[in-house]
Amino acid sequence: MNIYLHELRVYRKNTLLWIVSLCAGLMFLFWMYPTFAQNAGVMKDMLNNFPFALRVAFGFSIDAITTVTGFYSFVVTFFVLCGAVQAMMLGISVLSRETTGKTADFLLTRPVARATVLTAKLLAAVTCVTVTSTLYVAFSVFAATTVTDAPIQMGIFLKMAFSFFFLQLLFVALGFCLGAIVPRIRSVLPIAMSTTFGFFLIGVVAGALNLQDLYYLSPFKYFNTVELLLTSSYRTSFVLTAATVTVLAVVTAYGVYLRRDIRAA
Amino acid sequence: MSIVEVNHLKKYYGNARGIEDVSFTMEAGEIFGFIGPNGAGKSTTIRTMLALLHPTAGSATIFGKDCIRFAPEIAQNVGYLPSEVFYYDGMRVIDLLQYSASFYRKDCSARIKPLAEALDLDLKKKIDDLSFGNRKKVGIVQAILHEPKLIILDEPTAGLDPLMQQRFFELLREENKKGAAILFSSHVLSEVNKLCHRVAIIKEGRIVDVDTIGALKENGYKKVLLETKIPTQESAFTLEGIADLTVRGNLVTFIYRGSVNRLLTTLSALDLSNVAIVEPDLEEIFLHYYR
Repeated sequence: MNIYLHELRVYRKNTLLWIVSLCAGLMFLFWMYPTFAQNAGVMKDMLNNFPFALRVAFGFSIDAITTVTGFYSFVVTFFVLCGAVQAMMLGISVLSRETTGKTADFLLTRPVARATVLTAKLLAAVTCVTVTSTLYVAFSVFAATTVTDAPIQMGIFLKMAFSFFFLQLLFVALGFCLGAIVPRIRSVLPIAMSTTFGFFLIGVVAGALNLQDLYYLSPFKYFNTVELLLTSSYRTSFVLTAATVTVLAVVTAYGVYLRRDIRAA
Repeated sequence: MSIVEVNHLKKYYGNARGIEDVSFTMEAGEIFGFIGPNGAGKSTTIRTMLALLHPTAGSATIFGKDCIRFAPEIAQNVGYLPSEVFYYDGMRVIDLLQYSASFYRKDCSARIKPLAEALDLDLKKKIDDLSFGNRKKVGIVQAILHEPKLIILDEPTAGLDPLMQQRFFELLREENKKGAAILFSSHVLSEVNKLCHRVAIIKEGRIVDVDTIGALKENGYKKVLLETKIPTQESAFTLEGIADLTVRGNLVTFIYRGSVNRLLTTLSALDLSNVAIVEPDLEEIFLHYYR
């Protein structure tokens, strides 16, 4: 419990900053929604002029962009990317911070099992993303209701919003796994950014070429908002893949870290 | 029962040697010196005992329990001070010490203040603002805060001024009087000499000797200084037991271990103008092991 609380204290400010930025971004984009909606015709014409491949690649559905839920399906792509970066940074840094700060000796010579240390750290990271996601979802709903009087398809909207949470969990797990495998990661931000952007680009390319099998390589395609708009649900095989990847990453992290040698600073 | 038993411990980092074959035992209440130059394997041995490293072969028990399998349980009664201490920047000294204290079953927060006072440590300062020596003091308090039964010190005196070193040794003696055993690794022999009951000498990953300080000095080791009337050569000193021989003109010095009579017989054959046979200091014995 003491490690968990200590970790929360360490990431408190950082998490708060992410939450404020995400909410500010949401508010800003939703304020643009009325303009989109009013100029729906112009927007559609403009988007129709985009090459088809590009539209598919970034996953916007032209007809949808005029409803608030449709608009959100397009906005959510970018927030999910931000959320993934935050989550991955957290996942990496809970472990790598001890190595780069050379505090692993201190922590691991306390009377606690390594597994307990790992669990406390993982729980702290999960707590941070859960708080972030909860506030992100709540604020999405709030922002959406302030910019439109029309009824919102709340079921679909919430599913869309919660994809943020599931991806955050997945990226915490990936980061955690990376932090356990690679002993010293000094530059957490560049690694988290390049990994998430790499996955995102795989998704874009897969979308542009319509290679559905490739979707499995990009976590961002596991929660496909365009498909969600059409079928009102995520594809089961993708959701299962997301869950499997998350669990596997965590199990690997434990497996590696419990056997790892902590070298002298 | 021995407090520490290290049995043929071996640790390789990939292909690089950490330690080859280390065995020794420590009894309750003992201050045990662990000496050897950098790279001999002192830290590797200690880090394996602390379960930071996993042994390649061999094992170690502390309080009769396997040091890897029962690491968390053992750690309740072990205090560890590494040669370089690192703590979470941004925390104040008092926060760090309370965080450390929160891990132990024993409530030891009451000991923070008197220990900090003894070492002249400002509890309100941030860790980032501390000098190397002051960080070390935090390390000392942290290591003995929970009154451990075994204190493991890995080259602990670096960065402490002589006055602080003395206070630190006083604190260690106090803990020792209360029953704590101390494993003191160092390459500075004078401090081992001052504090320890027994020493293990480690060389290239192997223990070459374990003995009491007194025995090491008295173990037949003699330092012999000669002045001959005419310049002599190394070939004149072939007697078994002679080591570290230096011949400079008519000045000869060497370390000798063996029968004194045979030594005197050899010496009597030489034409000497002066002779001194003295107890070598620990440093010289130590160097002898490393030739």
